[in-house]
Amino acid sequence: MFEDRVTVLVGHFGSGKTEVAVNGAIRLAEGGARVALADLDLVKPYFRSRAGRELLAAAGVDLVAPEGDDAGDLPIVLPRVRTLCADPEVRVVIDAGGDDTGARALGSLSDLLGRLGVGFDLVLNFRRPFTPDVDSAVAMAREIEAAARLRVTGVVSNTHLMGQTTPAIVLEGCALARETAGRLGVPLAAAVVEERMRDAVDEAALGCPVFPVRRLVQPPFDQEGYRVPRSGPLFRVL
Amino acid sequence: MAKKLMKGCEAIGEAAIRAGCKLFFGYPITPQNEIPEYMSHRLPQVGGAFVQAESELAASNMIYGAAACGERVFTSSSSPGISLMQEAMSYIAASELPVVVVNIMRSGPGLGGILPTQSDYAQATKGGGHGDYRVLSLAPWSVQEAADLVADAFDLADFYRTPVYVLGDGLIGQMMEPVEFPEDRKPLRPLPPKTWATTGWRGDRPRAVVNSLFLDPIKCEQQNAKLQARYAQMRAEEVRSAYYGDEGDLDVLVVAYGTVARVTLTAMEDMKATGLKVGMLRPITVWPFPRDALAEAAERAKAILVAELSCGQMLEDVWLSTASMRPVHFLGHQGGVLLAPEEVSAAIRDVAAGRSAEVRYAG
Repeated sequence: MFEDRVTVLVGHFGSGKTEVAVNGAIRLAEGGARVALADLDLVKPYFRSRAGRELLAAAGVDLVAPEGDDAGDLPIVLPRVRTLCADPEVRVVIDAGGDDTGARALGSLSDLLGRLGVGFDLVLNFRRPFTPDVDSAVAMAREIEAAARLRVTGVVSNTHLMGQTTPAIVLEGCALARETAGRLGVPLAAAVVEERMRDAVDEAALGCPVFPVRRLVQPPFDQEGYRVPRSGPLFRVL
Repeated sequence: MAKKLMKGCEAIGEAAIRAGCKLFFGYPITPQNEIPEYMSHRLPQVGGAFVQAESELAASNMIYGAAACGERVFTSSSSPGISLMQEAMSYIAASELPVVVVNIMRSGPGLGGILPTQSDYAQATKGGGHGDYRVLSLAPWSVQEAADLVADAFDLADFYRTPVYVLGDGLIGQMMEPVEFPEDRKPLRPLPPKTWATTGWRGDRPRAVVNSLFLDPIKCEQQNAKLQARYAQMRAEEVRSAYYGDEGDLDVLVVAYGTVARVTLTAMEDMKATGLKVGMLRPITVWPFPRDALAEAAERAKAILVAELSCGQMLEDVWLSTASMRPVHFLGHQGGVLLAPEEVSAAIRDVAAGRSAEVRYAG
């Protein structure tokens, strides 16, 4: 996970791409890398990486997303994304929009991304309504690949139920993700486990690296120990 | 069925399908597009029909027509789109037809913005379109409650032959939470057959005619009286609210609904150590408004704080319900800016300490 210089996260909308992207970008920056997080979410208006602008700036992550009062709802891929992807000094995380619709924006970068050989990770939450099983996850992967004109290189297991997640739910989702990865002929790159649950989850049983996250993408009233310093971002803020 | 992680919009769509709704007519607008998206995917799977209309005006008149045929039907939109539908809402109310309309509110006036507000409260609870009518309006505070209230909305619409709103701020539509759907849900009320539906006359009953035109003043007044009798029954039987917090005397009673009530609950938990006695009344039906429950809680309180994502719309119903028996204070945001738990707890402390000014006019 995040081993390639450029990592693209795709998946069904609501599968957790933004959560993985924001956590991953912050971790890379903490490791001393120059990191850019490109928010390519052209699908939904809420809970996007760009809502965490302040949080990412504090961590030293360069957020690449449309700015300005009227850009909120416009489907734009900024030219800087291409520039950054081509820069060998920068680690890039691309948070794509949901489904094949969101992945379509990647098509405009597919010539460059294909040449670079990027990590193209499929984030899966089997508790989301449109990916309840392996067949639907495989079908969705194929639709995304067709729209993005890129092949999935790894699967990230992210099955959870927010605050109601149990270790059993994590393990059950991971088994389905492993089967999906097998069907796609790619490795199971990682299983997402919330930091608060790491002691409770049998990590050996996951059979893949753990990607620990703090759940950042949450409405303001669902915070535990964090506080929104001012109104606005639909995120908890560290 | 195992619990799913669903967006509010998806849960609303699924709840409608499980309530037997086979028809959706609508027009896209942020932040509720996931409802038509979901319905366009799911309705063909259950033998239903999804139509993206050419406008909100068309969609609202399509639901008018489908309801007249006795079908369970709904539409969804967001604030500016709901404004466009108000002519049909008045006609549907006058024609005594059951429809469910979901409004995932964004900021206004005008096109406003795409972030959450509660600034369509007055439109939903005071009429919206022309003439003397009311719309039963349900306001969920979670994804699960949104799903549950959509199911109830279809039953209430059929029982009272009336439009029913489900009123959620943008966050209700967009946030994801675990949700489950009961497999053995029973209707809220015994629902009589729709003998009034225009399904074709075969000589076995009087002709069914759907009409909102009454040129004879006596007949028009009688139609108004018929509607008013039904609204009186809703006021008597359908009021819903929930109370949280201290059961005894209160320093501050907060009145909040939707996600603002969630924020307030977090604030109340955070300030337990302060020793202040705080309670919250959460209207679940914003029309009919829980006047009695509020008056009862207000009697125990020194002061009232109204918190809502508007310039002060529910505020007027709080005054009407409490008849100025307690000072009323207001905390709000507009334009899509959310209330943070710290703002609510700071406002509660200010009200309790006499540092906040009483408000006498709504915005």
